[in-house]
Amino acid sequence: MWQSCGPETIKIEREADIVTARQVGRNMSRQLGFGTIMQSRIATSISELARNIYLYAGSGTITIAPIVRNGVLGLQLTAIDAGPGIPDIRKAMEDGYSTSGALGAGLPGVRRMMDEFEIHSSPGEGTRVVVVKWNGPIEEGV
Amino acid sequence: MVTRSLEEEYVKLLRDYLNGPGEDQLYFAQQMGKWLLAHDVSPEELTDMHGRALEKLGEVPEFVRASFSILTEVMIEYGNEHRSVHSWRSRHQQMEAELTVAQAMQKRLLPNQLPDYPGLEIGVVSIAAKQISGDYYDFICQDRERFCLTVADITGNGISAAMCMSMLKYAIDSLREMPLGPDEMLRHLNRIVGRNIDPSMFVTMLYGSYDTHQHCFRYAVAGHEPGFLYRAAEGVFYDLAGQGSVLGLCPNSEYEVQEVRLEAGDILILLTDGVTECKKNRYYLQRDELVLQMQAELGVHAQKMANALYNRLLALSQFELLDDYTMIVLRRT
Amino acid sequence: MDLFLKTTSQDTEHRVVLGGDIDAHTGPEVKETLMSLANEPGTRRLLIDLEAVEYMDSTGIGIFIAVMKACKQKECAFEVQKLSPRVERLFRITGLYEHIAIRKGESE
Repeated sequence: MWQSCGPETIKIEREADIVTARQVGRNMSRQLGFGTIMQSRIATSISELARNIYLYAGSGTITIAPIVRNGVLGLQLTAIDAGPGIPDIRKAMEDGYSTSGALGAGLPGVRRMMDEFEIHSSPGEGTRVVVVKWNGPIEEGV
Repeated sequence: MVTRSLEEEYVKLLRDYLNGPGEDQLYFAQQMGKWLLAHDVSPEELTDMHGRALEKLGEVPEFVRASFSILTEVMIEYGNEHRSVHSWRSRHQQMEAELTVAQAMQKRLLPNQLPDYPGLEIGVVSIAAKQISGDYYDFICQDRERFCLTVADITGNGISAAMCMSMLKYAIDSLREMPLGPDEMLRHLNRIVGRNIDPSMFVTMLYGSYDTHQHCFRYAVAGHEPGFLYRAAEGVFYDLAGQGSVLGLCPNSEYEVQEVRLEAGDILILLTDGVTECKKNRYYLQRDELVLQMQAELGVHAQKMANALYNRLLALSQFELLDDYTMIVLRRT
Repeated sequence: MDLFLKTTSQDTEHRVVLGGDIDAHTGPEVKETLMSLANEPGTRRLLIDLEAVEYMDSTGIGIFIAVMKACKQKECAFEVQKLSPRVERLFRITGLYEHIAIRKGESE
């Protein structure tokens, strides 16, 4: 069933787009066989990434795609914007920063909920975050 | 992680309770809560487990089942916060450990024993309000009759004060090789401090040399809280004279040498502002009130007097030490 | 107690009214405000009114020292007025008195 899912890219410009992205992520993660909690955590991660785009960059994209590596199936989220960028990524990734409400808030939570986390950001050049949540080995017929 | 046996236990608990509610099951549930926390089971996992447990107990109405989606979403935020507090705690522990090391290092900056000269008693109480103190004091023996004495208060407390303190100690240690008067010592230290610390930091200091043969104390003051001189013959406490700019304020500050001579029974009390800033309810202790306290503790050994005054002032401030506290008592016998 | 802080500016002259407690907690905000005014390129005069200050500890003195140094460097006048007796004593003991213009009692 997962073979039928292709990557989907959602433009984030309005708050309603965040909801759309969550919905796409939830549906795809269900199709990939993630449990209900994981579905919700993925939706939450999408929310955080998309809100950063909506609040600080104005616009950007979220791409949600199935990913297979070494026979393991997962879901990959890619958030890209051309916004102000995060000046101090290390600081933004510290717990406690998330309560500041500043750009990058919520990222520590995303990192914790996902298995892989990658971020590139520099002031003036925008931000690119790629995260992956692994589910398990591909089973025939799933 | 929610394990199968945990889930089975939870289902059983829920079933027992629904069959006949009892306080013992509620107590068990509370204890289980502790166990879940200790084993890092997140709130969203728990609500999910509760939902599954309901399904095992009977027909769950659709609206109840659906309501769990809302609950799970909300709980994920709580779960994230819970995990972040967790990582804060371990970072906090690491910082505490570093502070303990700094604390031990700072102890080494302070003298581990007081000088012992005939005819003079010395008492010291120096207590940090938090782990690291901003108060500094030192006694350095010059020869068989004289010793140098430093009392200083470094602004702020914590690591920056400790770092500044080690700079001060090493500066004094190397400068004392030269035959400097107290005024010249402060002039040198002022330049060193001014060049090496943050513009908004400063140090107040009293530096002097006590001659135990003449019982003469020559000292100079850099913005430091004035001490007291007790004249036994008159039974009166006087403010110790002397003032000058704090170290680090202005590169070309000058300092004046003061001199007092102690007669038998006279007492010199040197302190930091933690002593005078002692808070009595919402009011600060006035110097004349402090004198009353001191008057009540006369006639004992200098160390005993210092201890007793600390206990009195601590009680006055309702056992809350707001600032680092240092008092040095010198009593000519 | 909290901090009260109000700035009124007229061209290159700034007047800051401070009130409440100036201590380790409120210090950073006070310092930030005063230092940015002192470092503003055109600033010629900085007047601080301390009438409403209820408590000030050595943190406050440190801030005034830092601002005084910044003002001295760019020849900006730094004045303080309406000190309570307790704060005045702190200014005198620390020697700040000789480096900052203390305006007596009168208001602007």
